[in-house]
Formats: sequence, structure tokens, C-alpha cells
Amino acid sequence: MASRLAAKENDEAAVDMTPMLDIVFIMLIFFIVTATFVKQAGLEVIRPDAETAEDQRRVSILVAIGDGDTVWMDNKEVDVRAVRAGVEKLLAENPLGSVVIQADEKSKSGILMQVMDQIREAGAPATAIATKKD
Amino acid sequence: MARKIRKGAEEAEVDMTPMLDIVFIMLIFFIVTATFVNERGLDVTRPDSDEPPPKSKAVTILVSISSSGIISMEGRDIDIRAVRANVERLIAENPDASVVVQADPESESNLLVGVMDQARLAGASGVSIAELQ
Repeated sequence: MASRLAAKENDEAAVDMTPMLDIVFIMLIFFIVTATFVKQAGLEVIRPDAETAEDQRRVSILVAIGDGDTVWMDNKEVDVRAVRAGVEKLLAENPLGSVVIQADEKSKSGILMQVMDQIREAGAPATAIATKKD
Repeated sequence: MARKIRKGAEEAEVDMTPMLDIVFIMLIFFIVTATFVNERGLDVTRPDSDEPPPKSKAVTILVSISSSGIISMEGRDIDIRAVRANVERLIAENPDASVVVQADPESESNLLVGVMDQARLAGASGVSIAELQ
């Protein structure tokens, strides 16, 4: 009796993969849809502290300003006048993405304003200055 | 011959294995490349330098930061912790007032963000940044 039952199960040993496949496809679609290829700036900065900071949504472009007033975007150090062209190029890939400026505590306001002007001229929908995370 | 065809129809099971391999590889790729950016930040507006300022009756509250990091409002030098109280008082007088932070290009952005934060804590709806002339 036992051996007959075991042999029968062995013959029909096909696991129903359909539910797993459903889950895998749903996960695949989720990850494809949420895939936002963020252009990292390529520089770690010490962010200033602020209490009224909000979580930024749809961030796709990061521009960093180091403490020596160097401007970094897309993992390269760029001139401040080249920020506009760089943001325009990255915006063409992801038109709804917003721009976040990661300005170091010790960077000068002048370069921050120049970078903001460049980003606005490039037509970015929203700009924010990154602050410390809680 | 006909029997063979019927047998083939009965066993009509497509081999899904290659497709599954591809789907799993795509899934792993998208999981690995998924970067969920969680960035916190202050939204800022920058007045357009090409356009003349609007001639509305709205009062602007000016906070200026000098190159050496001295904050002044209404002609008085104040501490950064006093910005909030001063802005609150001026907003109470003019609820429609907007805040403009005038920062010297040589001042540190830490201070600029701090002043903006204080103004937002005071309840200013929109804080914009301008260059100190």
C-alpha cells in the first residue's frame, strides 16, 4: 500500500508553478515600473541641518557642491556653467524628475545660487536643497 | 499516424523553462538596480533675475547674510535663533508677506539653509533666495 502510493506520487511529481510565476511576474513589473535610474552626483557632502525638511519625491538628478566649491554631477566634476547643459541632458531622459542640490555646509552661497540659476534655466520642475536625514 | 498527432495534442505542454530563466534574470537585475533614493530637503524658489519684481502690494521680509556670516533684519544685526521670532512678528503684521533671504556670495550655505529653516519654522509660506547686492 505504502509503496504503491509512493510510486504513484513519484510519477506525477510535477509541482504546480503557476502561483509562483504569478508572483514573480508581479514583482518583475513592480521593479520595472519603479526603476528610476538616479544619476548620483558622485560626491559625499556634509549636509546642513534643517527642521522643516520634507521627503523629496521623484528625485532623479543630484548635483553636489563640495566644500571647495567644486560642482559634481553624474559622477564627474563639472564647471558651474556646464550644469545647465548636464541637467538638460538628464531631464530629457526623465522629464518628470526633480533636482536636488547637495550643498556642503562649508560651501559658499554664491556657488549655490549660480547652480540654482543654471538648474532653473535648464527647466527643471522643482529644485530642493538636501539636508541631514533624521 | 493520426494516433500520433492525437497523442501530441494530449501532451501539448510548452517548455516554460527558458522563459522562466529569462524572467528570473530580469527580476534579479531590476531588484539589484532598484535604488530607492530617500533624500530630505528644503524646497526653494529663486526669483527670476531677468524679470522685474512684481509690483504687488505684498510686503517682503528681507533677511540678509553678510560675507562674514552676520545676519541682519531691518537694519539690526541679529542672532540666527532670533530670526524665527522676528519673522513671526513681521508675518503677524503682514500675513501675506513673503520672505526673501539675501545672502552674500561669500557666506556659507550652512547659514543660508539655517536662516531659511528658521523662516519656514516661523510660518513663511514661500522662502526665496536672492544675492546680496
